[in-house]
Amino acid sequence: MTQQWRPAPASTSPMLQRPEPSDLAEILERVLDKGIVVAGDIRVNLVDVELLTIRLRLLIASVDRAREMGIDWWEHDPTLSSGARDLAAENRRLRERIGELQANGRPPAIDDGEEPTGARAAQPAERERRGSARPMAQGGTRKAARQQ
Amino acid sequence: MSEGHATWVYAITSDLDSAVLAGIEGIGGEPVRTLADNSLTAVIGSIDADAFGEEAFERMLSDPGQVEVLARAHHRVVEVVAGGSPVLPLRLATVYRNDDRVRALLKQRQARFAETLRWLTGRGECGVKVWADPAALATGRTGGEPAPAAPDPGPAAGGSHRPGHGAGAAYLSRRRAQLEARADGRLRAAQRGEDIHGALTGRAVAARQHPLQDPRLAGNQELMVLNGAYLVDAARMDQFAAYARAAVADLARFRLDITGPWPPYSFADGPDG
Repeated sequence: MTQQWRPAPASTSPMLQRPEPSDLAEILERVLDKGIVVAGDIRVNLVDVELLTIRLRLLIASVDRAREMGIDWWEHDPTLSSGARDLAAENRRLRERIGELQANGRPPAIDDGEEPTGARAAQPAERERRGSARPMAQGGTRKAARQQ
Repeated sequence: MSEGHATWVYAITSDLDSAVLAGIEGIGGEPVRTLADNSLTAVIGSIDADAFGEEAFERMLSDPGQVEVLARAHHRVVEVVAGGSPVLPLRLATVYRNDDRVRALLKQRQARFAETLRWLTGRGECGVKVWADPAALATGRTGGEPAPAAPDPGPAAGGSHRPGHGAGAAYLSRRRAQLEARADGRLRAAQRGEDIHGALTGRAVAARQHPLQDPRLAGNQELMVLNGAYLVDAARMDQFAAYARAAVADLARFRLDITGPWPPYSFADGPDG
């Protein structure tokens, strides 16, 4: 489609992945988030691009496949983005709590008398994964918590 | 245009052979038109003003299925234009009441648009995304560096099999070591992303860093460390892609996706944007 500056036909140019019709996420990232912004006559609020793209993935993937990928939080939270923020905050609180307990040399009450493996022990890691909407920022938060 | 229609703007270009738009369907299946003013040409189409009234429009944009249809139609037109001319894509859903309002936009921003179009001529956008393997983050190994020594778990960890305080403290100690290793791994991975961006920027006409995407978008736990866009001369596009691949090839736990050439969506705001 862009012959003028395309260096070679797709078939002889293996270095680049041509935008394919299936590259919906790539297309959305550009048309929703980039390009010239001018004040048109009709103002609309485009919803958060990332959120929208994730929703679109859900449309594309079957619900079962989405669950396999760990995308199941929409079932609990129709607003989605605020839910992710809540999880991130909860994750931060849990880490801080663990840090405090460790600093005091005492184990948390929840582990008393129980082998700390299995589902419950795995929970912080699980929460961290799901709540890491901004992994880098979260890394920074962790660092700050350690310095307390 | 009559009162029943509004004008959707796809892109602004110059030197367009409007024959390339023949038979191309835009938003709502409508034909795509051009509107010229001075050296600029707006690529536009008519849309139903009722369907794209503010309220109806917002409802439409909250429906992923409809957004996909709009996004693909918009992008298809932008790509066709990019095939023959330098192009400034407009953000999705730029709508004016009528063609005259678009003409006013062209007049008002003439100098700026023309300058950006000159800058973009003969160039395309290459998208580079780089992810780090989560295993690398957990162990702190990101590209051949030795793993940091695990902290001493402390006396509470050994000696007793009695469940209770000792086991809890040992768990917390292990957990803290894991979290610290992961935080370090993330910092190192982020630094690698910056390094790669720096190297690619040196080979490009211009570069933009876009927000890192949520791991959920990739459908796995990989951590995105670079979401870059690079403006590259058309003749050097393959060379640039080869360089990007080489930059990541010797990093064992990083994966990269290169896409393009795209119309220069990320550079439509000009050299100093």
